[in-house]
Amino acid sequence: MPENSVICLKNIHKSFGDLKVLKGIDLQAHEHDVISIIGSSGSGKSTFLRCINLLETPTEGEIWITGEKLKLARNKKGDLDASDPRQLAAMRARVGFVFQNFNLWPHKTLLENIIEGPTQVLGKSKDEAIAYAEQLLRRVGLEERKDFYPSQISGGQQQRVAITRTLAMDPQLILFDEPTSALDPELVGEVLGVMRDLAGEGRTMLIVTHEMQFAREVSNKVMFLHQGQVEEFGHPDQVFGNPTSERCREFISSVY
Amino acid sequence: MDFNVIIQYFPRLLEGAMTTLELVVVSGLIGSLLALPLGLARHSHRPWLYALPYAYIFFFRGTPLLVQIFLVYYGLAQFEFVRESALWPYLREPYWCAIIAFSLNTAAYTAEILRGALGNVPRGEIEAAKTIGMRRVMLYRRIMLPRAFGMIMPAYGNEVILMLKSSALASTITLLDLTGTARTIIARTYTPIEIFLAAGFIYLMLSLIIIQFFRFLEKRSNRHLVSTR
Amino acid sequence: MFDLKGFGDQLLAGTMVTIELALASLVVGLCLAILAATARLSDNWFARNIALAYTSVIRGIPELLTVLIIYFGSATAIMAVARLFGYDEYIEISPFVAGVIALGLTFGAYASEVFRGAIIAIPKGQREAGLTIGMSPLKIFWRITLPQVWRLALPGLGNLFLVLLKDTALISVVGLHDLMRKTTEAVSYSKEPFLFYSAAAFIYLALTILTMVFIHFMEKRNSRWGDK
Repeated sequence: MPENSVICLKNIHKSFGDLKVLKGIDLQAHEHDVISIIGSSGSGKSTFLRCINLLETPTEGEIWITGEKLKLARNKKGDLDASDPRQLAAMRARVGFVFQNFNLWPHKTLLENIIEGPTQVLGKSKDEAIAYAEQLLRRVGLEERKDFYPSQISGGQQQRVAITRTLAMDPQLILFDEPTSALDPELVGEVLGVMRDLAGEGRTMLIVTHEMQFAREVSNKVMFLHQGQVEEFGHPDQVFGNPTSERCREFISSVY
Repeated sequence: MDFNVIIQYFPRLLEGAMTTLELVVVSGLIGSLLALPLGLARHSHRPWLYALPYAYIFFFRGTPLLVQIFLVYYGLAQFEFVRESALWPYLREPYWCAIIAFSLNTAAYTAEILRGALGNVPRGEIEAAKTIGMRRVMLYRRIMLPRAFGMIMPAYGNEVILMLKSSALASTITLLDLTGTARTIIARTYTPIEIFLAAGFIYLMLSLIIIQFFRFLEKRSNRHLVSTR
Repeated sequence: MFDLKGFGDQLLAGTMVTIELALASLVVGLCLAILAATARLSDNWFARNIALAYTSVIRGIPELLTVLIIYFGSATAIMAVARLFGYDEYIEISPFVAGVIALGLTFGAYASEVFRGAIIAIPKGQREAGLTIGMSPLKIFWRITLPQVWRLALPGLGNLFLVLLKDTALISVVGLHDLMRKTTEAVSYSKEPFLFYSAAAFIYLALTILTMVFIHFMEKRNSRWGDK
């Protein structure tokens, strides 16, 4: 039922020209679900995640977010694009997105990065937004750095701020697009720690990741994508411990 | 729009365009001859060598060309000794004054371009030349300058286009270049829009020709850079 | 401050006009540049090509000719339109207005290329981060893209302003009482062209140096959030 799930995706297709990247993917997430999406590079997992909030326009499919169907219409290139920009913006405000390379705005301080959305999109007062931002920053241990610019802190710290920027919007769902792939190995842990806390709070999350150990520990469902299709979907113990698909078995044994 | 005026006076405008081209080519040649020593000296790290070129370049790039033209054309005549010198027959001619001002001006810009290119010759290539025992003069003659000339072409092409456009200032000291010709025609016909647009069109064509010419030169001088695409 | 045989005040007054002209043209030129740059990058075929034609034509013809066309041409054009409505009077536009239009057009054409390069240089992810929190494209352009464009474009714009500053001298040709014109007047009274044109040259040089100092200051201020 799309109505009572946080997110419901039906039959998502995506082609770039002749290249079919996604070939009909369904996914439903309920409240408190933490779903990891795994697969080799080129399997389409990032593209799939970017289709959810229309950073990438799908060629086919339906998107329901918190019971509301996103209105789509075909654009000039033949893809589906939002037909109601207001609805899209409102939905995006409810769905957080954490990028692989953080994408903090370099001309704003950490605090300014975090309050941009609440003040500009949600219409909160500046004082209220700052108070909330400081509270969130304290939780990721970066309160003292709030007036720094992104270029003055490490990659791991930047990603923690990027996650905070997303949390400041009070999203009902957070999408993570390989959040640790651009980090030096020694900085991966601090970001995973923050994500683990969020999962513990009962946040609904979709995570594209290469960190198999983390995926196994934190998520309650795992989706394995191969060549744009779902090869395996289930509880992490089953997907990692006893996969039914031969390709999934090969993938798991190659990365473990 | 009165196209008849354009057709009637187009040959005269073309004559003016020839004067414009002549100004650009002559002062371009003199200017680049001046630019070579200026740019080399400017590239030096010794203050007594680079100080004077630095001041020269700064002055000519920091003041309007119109002031420079007036300084040469009106300013020099203020001095008795200039008027009595053997050069006076030339220095009182607007044509030669324009050539002098343009040459000095473009020399400054070109020298700065040359300095930039010399600074961009990869250190490794210079070191390679030193390791086979090249001394300074040979290093510049055989390695640095040829490499710099290859790098200069796009920027120098731009400078020639800018020179073509600034040559219109010759008309302010009564020279009948393309702009000057257009202005005299208009004084008689009172059709500024038609004649100025026709002149603008000819300038556009001239810049296109110059751009093509420098593309061709660039290709030739960078023959050694085999394209991998 | 400096007397110059009694013409010092005149030259100073002319310098003020030169500065006013440069600043007014800068404002007009920046607006045109942003418009043209966004048009060049838009999906609209018509907007793209209009902007391309504008920048190529202006950059291909002499600044002096642009000034002459605007000064004489626009008066003729306005009169032609006025005649349609029954006015038959001689109309003239002021040299200052003509100068602002001509220099603004020129600055705008070159600066649009600087802006275009800067906009392209900003990583796509910057925009996407704005999209994911639900910002509208206009808001993203205004709050995310433009502030970053400034920093990337500043050196290029600074150079173009130095060119603009020198180009103001051209407006004296159509009778604006700027520094150049005042100098020529001083010359015709005093018969000392070398002295006065040298003085003018050094005033222009001083303005150039002031501008360079200001640009340097702005770049420093901007690099607060710059690279490590």
